[in-house]
Amino acid sequence: MAYSFPEEVLEHVFSFLSSDRDRNAVSLVCKSWYDIERWCRRRIFVGNCYAVSPEIVIRRFPELRAVEMKGKPHFADFNLVPEGWGAYAYPWIAAMEEAYPFLEEIKLKRMVVTDESLELISKSYKSFKVLVLTSCEGFTTDGLASIAANCRHLRELDLRESEVEDLSGHWLSHFPDSCTSLVSLNMSCLGSEVSFCALERLVARSPNLRTLRLNRAVPLERLANLIRRAPQLVELGTGAYSAEIRSDTFSNLADAFSACKQLKALSGFWDVVPSYLPAMYSVCSGITSLNLSYAAIPSSDLVKLISQCQNLQRLWVLDYIEDSGLDALAASCKDLQELRVFPSDPFGAEPNVSLTEQGLVSVSEGCPKLESVLYFCRQMSNAALIAIAKNRPNFIRFRLCIIDPQAPDYLTLEPLDAGFGAIVEKCKELRRLSMTGLLTDRVFKYIGSHAKKLEMLSIAFAGDSDLGLHHVLSGCDSLRKLEIRDCPFGDKALLANAAKLETMRSLWMSSCSVSFGACKLLAQKMPRLNVEVIDERGPPDSRPEGCSVERAYVYRTVASRQRLDMPDFVWTHDEDSSLRYS
Amino acid sequence: MDNHLQLHLALSTTSTRNLPRNDEKKRKFDESFSDDEMTSNKRTLPLLIWNDNRNMDCGCVDVEEHAVVGWPPVNSRMRKVAEHHRRESTASNYVTVDNGGGGGGGLNSMYVKVEMEGIGIARKINLGIFGSYQALTAALMAMFGKRREMYKLTYRDKEGDWLLAGDVPWERFVRSVRRLKLLKKVW
Repeated sequence: MAYSFPEEVLEHVFSFLSSDRDRNAVSLVCKSWYDIERWCRRRIFVGNCYAVSPEIVIRRFPELRAVEMKGKPHFADFNLVPEGWGAYAYPWIAAMEEAYPFLEEIKLKRMVVTDESLELISKSYKSFKVLVLTSCEGFTTDGLASIAANCRHLRELDLRESEVEDLSGHWLSHFPDSCTSLVSLNMSCLGSEVSFCALERLVARSPNLRTLRLNRAVPLERLANLIRRAPQLVELGTGAYSAEIRSDTFSNLADAFSACKQLKALSGFWDVVPSYLPAMYSVCSGITSLNLSYAAIPSSDLVKLISQCQNLQRLWVLDYIEDSGLDALAASCKDLQELRVFPSDPFGAEPNVSLTEQGLVSVSEGCPKLESVLYFCRQMSNAALIAIAKNRPNFIRFRLCIIDPQAPDYLTLEPLDAGFGAIVEKCKELRRLSMTGLLTDRVFKYIGSHAKKLEMLSIAFAGDSDLGLHHVLSGCDSLRKLEIRDCPFGDKALLANAAKLETMRSLWMSSCSVSFGACKLLAQKMPRLNVEVIDERGPPDSRPEGCSVERAYVYRTVASRQRLDMPDFVWTHDEDSSLRYS
Repeated sequence: MDNHLQLHLALSTTSTRNLPRNDEKKRKFDESFSDDEMTSNKRTLPLLIWNDNRNMDCGCVDVEEHAVVGWPPVNSRMRKVAEHHRRESTASNYVTVDNGGGGGGGLNSMYVKVEMEGIGIARKINLGIFGSYQALTAALMAMFGKRREMYKLTYRDKEGDWLLAGDVPWERFVRSVRRLKLLKKVW
């Protein structure tokens, strides 16, 4: 009984629960546990900023210290979500200013953050420590200046992949001399040059600095001095990795690297001059994470570098690595867990490098711990996929992108159903899957039957009919996020599986066969689903009801379905009048 | 319009909006891109590889030509990186492209790697779209941004010998070429 335990004891017990799922489960036990838990929850993660409102969050959790939130759906990364759709951070920041004076951490992903928001953050919270903005946009370097100037105890400022309007590099100079608390600084997405003196001084007075990711504007000649001031670095992102070839620059750099005994992760490497790569060799044996996704390095130099990194666990690289480089990777890096191969020439009509399905097969054969893959290539076969599945049943993330989205098995010209079928059948722990290639409804049947732990599925240019979508929605028990583009999926499967949609975070369908009528019906039947019709051609009821909508974004929500920040190209169910969309 | 939800899944033949396709029917490659499918199929078809663009003067493909939004799925940062590298590789010197095998069937499988003295990253070029040495050389020079009189075109044939291009008739050359290399002329 709850009465046997004083609140303080329960609170103490709950303090050991860090996972959100555990805390959510605890809060469902009984009313008093719900109450105790909500008062002592300090961290919250909101996967969809529109699933809930600031008021609801604040009312339930009055004592938060850390908020993490995501805004736009994943396909926004590929320009499929029109500008102005939403995901504004300001309403949250403004609401939290009053409610959480002791807030320490804000982490946002794919949200629109303005300079006003940043200024408000910097002035509202006396103990603010961590700001992470992933793939965000809407702010300028002026907003960064506010953060630098006002957050006295700032530990982390991480702007990974954000689009920042870069007015000048002067923002960095706003860190006061008294600021010595920095643990992590990631400015790699910025363009402007910062004052190198200010940067060096900042690094020198930050003894706890573990992560430093520079931007491209920091030249190689400056890198040695910076590293020398922070030999305790664990993660380093270089700036441009090119300079005139001079032995003093080289030895200076090599010396600086050799002093970094804790270095585990490297990134950056814009404009690489391969002759400077050996300057890093002294740290390679300790490196577990290498991000070379901006680096045009020929395969032979890549191989020399990678063969020094026997403890590599994560590699992100461009397809310059080629099959031969992946063979070498498979031979040297037996601890490899994650591989991402990006296309150096994604829009080129012809292959510019010799990277095929064989590279992936080799790595799947040679790396027993490989569990996460993102692979761009130009050809694939069922045989290769089947081999990969047999070699590596421990995949948890498998994302394959064939540049020609409807490419068949290049050997047999058949669909790739069997190949992906093997992946879902053998990899029983698979949580994320992205597919491309010529795919029929059959592959979705396999997915529905086998992919019981699948949480996120991305589909493009695949399938034949609604049956495909139905297989997925009815079969994938753990599905949380489904994103679909350019598939002949429509109303029937959607409506037949309406209840399923409430068990998921969201469903995105663009350039499919979903009608406005079905969207209205779905919204009417499912009051806790927000069915957003995102269509830039004007009011959906100006077209025949059977006409397909450009995009439908369906997500569960406990907040109002008429969000106040809706732009004029988004339509949702109007609660007041029946079936009228406004 | 139905007022209640029904499990009413039709097989593909009754689907109103989509091109009916039998589950069992294999989709042959050439069928996939036949004209009537292009108009009746809801899916937008790619793209670049099958576009009949014979204009090789620019030596590169404009991003704007790609009509399919958001494909391939690379984010804006990656796209900028790719653009940058494209510009770099046309301007730089030592591009080595290795040809796995020239000749062979069809217009689309005659990719040959092209190496230019001084450039580290290889390029590939589809020999099938050229009809003469002149056309090929013009395209290569445009691709690398160099002047024709500064370089000579050599090739490695299937016997592994390096020869000066231009001596044998074009058709014979195309069948035997394995690799191309542009060497600076030594005065």
